[in-house]
Amino acid sequence: MVIDDSRAMRMILKRIVAKLNFEAIEAGDGQEALDLLATMTEVPELALIDWNMPNMNGLEFVTKVRAEPRLREMTLVMVTTESEQSQIVRALAAGAHEYVIKPFTEGAMIEKLALLGLVPTGANS
Amino acid sequence: MSVETVVSEDDLAEMVEQVWVSYLDPEGVSPLVLTGDDKQTTEVHSTVSITGTWHGHLVYACSLTAAKKSAAAFLAMEMDEVGQEDISDVLGELANIVGGNVKAMLPAGCFLSLPTVVLAPDTASYYPAAERISGLYGSWDGEPVSISMWQSVKQQQEGAA
Amino acid sequence: MTLSQADFAFVSALVRREAAIVLAPGKEYLVEARLIPVARQVGAASVTDFLANLQRKPNPADQRRIIDALTTNETSWFRDREPFTALTDVVLPELVKSRGSARKVRLWSAASSSGQEAYSLAITLQETLPAGWGYEIMGSDISTEMIKRAEAAEYSQVEVNRGLPATQLVQYFERVGAHWRVAPHLRRNVSFKHMNLTAPLPAMPPFDVIFLRNVLIYFDVATKKSVLRNVARLLRPDGWLFLGAAETTIGIDDNYERVAAGRTSAYRVRSAVPAGAARKG
Repeated sequence: MVIDDSRAMRMILKRIVAKLNFEAIEAGDGQEALDLLATMTEVPELALIDWNMPNMNGLEFVTKVRAEPRLREMTLVMVTTESEQSQIVRALAAGAHEYVIKPFTEGAMIEKLALLGLVPTGANS
Repeated sequence: MSVETVVSEDDLAEMVEQVWVSYLDPEGVSPLVLTGDDKQTTEVHSTVSITGTWHGHLVYACSLTAAKKSAAAFLAMEMDEVGQEDISDVLGELANIVGGNVKAMLPAGCFLSLPTVVLAPDTASYYPAAERISGLYGSWDGEPVSISMWQSVKQQQEGAA
Repeated sequence: MTLSQADFAFVSALVRREAAIVLAPGKEYLVEARLIPVARQVGAASVTDFLANLQRKPNPADQRRIIDALTTNETSWFRDREPFTALTDVVLPELVKSRGSARKVRLWSAASSSGQEAYSLAITLQETLPAGWGYEIMGSDISTEMIKRAEAAEYSQVEVNRGLPATQLVQYFERVGAHWRVAPHLRRNVSFKHMNLTAPLPAMPPFDVIFLRNVLIYFDVATKKSVLRNVARLLRPDGWLFLGAAETTIGIDDNYERVAAGRTSAYRVRSAVPAGAARKG
């Protein structure tokens, strides 16, 4: 799942995860993402989440997801310009599994996902 | 408090270079060349405002061609396919990224607004009660790109007091 | 002026052989753009002249410049991951058993470049060694510029994005302006020294683990032999040597034996490998 209010950023992320054989579902904010998740029978493995979005920001989304047993298996990765140490700590404390600071290169994103065991071997050469 | 002591032009240059390395020029063949031409004209621009312990704006401005090139890079399309909405979206995100990185260097307790995009030269926007305090001016394959920081005058006066 | 097919082929073969980089056809413009500053740096009149000279008279330093210019600018934390996992899973537990009286381990990151390997080792040790254990890490490099950078221990946002878990970023680094700097409590145990591996090395207490990764590939066989010989003198008899993924001592130095270390290989001085230990011929 790719959750960001910027279509341009969603495109970048979609392209990267496509290289890892992920099919991306897009949402423009946290609320839209939660609404989509409610309708899905198969929970996505991974969500890439922006922080600053209208309606519901990324931190709130992470908090809500971690509170729901049904969504337990989702790996949550923040992808954001928020880069103060305290913000990263907050996100990790709320339950995000990893954190990528914008701007990020494709290589960096793939390496972060590899840390989480989400990269099929050979995909990151 | 003066922001130059917190965010130098070198810092801005580094942030901008990272945007190029990450999204606009991953192969390292067309970097942004800094020219220092603060009089260069632009055709479109986007702004994020910073509030909280620091008040001001971050403006990202460039020519229409540069905007189309950026959109083409982000959205994986050909330049002639790029529409106004695409340009708005990409410019907004660029201001967001640079603004966010600037915010991280400012004192704690700052907030970044959502970006606003204007398809007109950066001189068309007025920032009442704010003054341009620093900027980065460059050329990307011959196209002008400018990033400028504005600080609220009232805050500057308070800082100087 | 575009690169000739022959020159492009020469560069492609070089980087494929030495750095496992594959340059697809159509990338001539990229090679040319990246080599212009290199040609300028060595005083060649043009990229064509630079490559012509190099083909006439090969030299490792210029080859290295080409490879550096064409590899991605970022190095990585915990590069290739498996050697660090091997450290955690295999090497450190063994050292903890055998160094019980001293309760200290010494590591060397030979060719430490901007310091990411040395600090990655420090993080690994910090998180793996039992309480009450100490460690010392020395990083060395032939470039004084790199030594300065490594000592400054400051990295850009783009650099810290690369392979460093977020939990470790917040624990071992602090923000300094637009950069992230390694926190004092980690830097305390890491030092850097200017050193040329191909020259006789200064005497110093031997190391338990040496990382000599992606250095040997730049040297000819004779130099590889002398570097391995120099390095062996500074390795504890039961110490571990880690090379880069595409490198080996086999065929170069018989004094080392390759052994399994987790999912990767390491090298140990032949006589010291205890009977029954895992061997990989």
